[in-house]
Amino acid sequence: MEKSAKQVKETMKNDGKKVKIYTTSTCPWCMKTKEFFKENNVKYEEVNVGTSEDARNEMFQKSGQLGVPVVDANGTIIVGFDKDALKKALGI
Amino acid sequence: MYDTIIIGAGCAGLAAAMYAGRLNMKTLLIGDNIGGTITLTDVVENYPGFIKLTGQELADNLRNHAEAYNIEKSEAKVTKIKREHNCFIVETNESKTHQSRTIIFATGTEWRKLNVPGEKEFANKGVHYCALCDGAVYQNRIVAVVGGGDSSVKEALLLSQFASKVYILVRREKLRGEPINNQRADNNKKIQVITNINLKQIKGDKVVKSVQLDRELNGSNELKLDAVFVAIGHNALSQLAKDVDVKVNDKGEIIINRESKTNIPGFFAAGDVCDTVFKQAITGVAEGVSAVYSAYTYVNENEFICPIGNDDMVNIKNAK
Repeated sequence: MEKSAKQVKETMKNDGKKVKIYTTSTCPWCMKTKEFFKENNVKYEEVNVGTSEDARNEMFQKSGQLGVPVVDANGTIIVGFDKDALKKALGI
Repeated sequence: MYDTIIIGAGCAGLAAAMYAGRLNMKTLLIGDNIGGTITLTDVVENYPGFIKLTGQELADNLRNHAEAYNIEKSEAKVTKIKREHNCFIVETNESKTHQSRTIIFATGTEWRKLNVPGEKEFANKGVHYCALCDGAVYQNRIVAVVGGGDSSVKEALLLSQFASKVYILVRREKLRGEPINNQRADNNKKIQVITNINLKQIKGDKVVKSVQLDRELNGSNELKLDAVFVAIGHNALSQLAKDVDVKVNDKGEIIINRESKTNIPGFFAAGDVCDTVFKQAITGVAEGVSAVYSAYTYVNENEFICPIGNDDMVNIKNAK
């Protein structure tokens, strides 16, 4: 069966690397980070720390701080929108 | 060789880029944060032509308008400006140099710090400078905004959407927000304005737990809370300009005239980095457009001798 466009796109992403982003609904740097992921075809999971206490606790546990965004790129924790750090962690 | 290099891609820089494009100037816009500070503003209600839009929407509109013309863009960070003969050489963190006949300097500002114990230690752990960025992290918690200007009131109004209680701590005897925003704060049951008060210290363990005040409030100098949002103004990012002898005032803001000219020929400035008293997106874009017209006139009226051949771009390492 021919692969759908979506399936083809999935295979391009991340090479098995897990990317999770902790955000709030208003944060401009979170939006810039997600745009960066889209531009670079990075598949990510998003959790909102403004609406989930569990997500807030998890973010604090991983990063030791409460600023957003926080990206967990396969175990590498990146605080803020740091293009160079993201590129390095994701091998872009 | 560019006719102008615009340094800074906030409202003023984007407006300048748009007009430089219209005037057919060979233009390079350099900015590592396209859109600039306005993107950190929730709601903009004072930009003529738009009754209400978000800061990001305004930035996107200005960017699209600039990109409708033939300009070049770089998301690098400028590390140095040099002046040789009557040309400018701009170096970036990407190890590139660019030459230009003129500079339009629109780097904006950075947040001013409180400089109290605990501020650095608890940065991002309860000390924040942008409610739109981090405010929603404090859902149903107690927060304070420090500062008495309009930005402080707007930050408090935004925070009241998330927090259970918002104090505004004002050093002077009254709040100096725009009347419309002061009224909104007055009507907001979550917001309490406390005047004639100074924050002395920020305390906590892993995160902020309280602040020490210089006078008693409800019988104690200590106010329990979860976060402090600092909104006490901005410092001009003018160092790169000062390095080429551009004159600044005692606040470090670049002194410009009505044509956005500085004391250095060919060096123009616009936006929040300048000594304009009322700093708004609308005043910044106006200065940006004035700066471009001045640069356009200057380019047409002068002969230029520039130091490094005719290349637009020279790798520093190779050039040495």
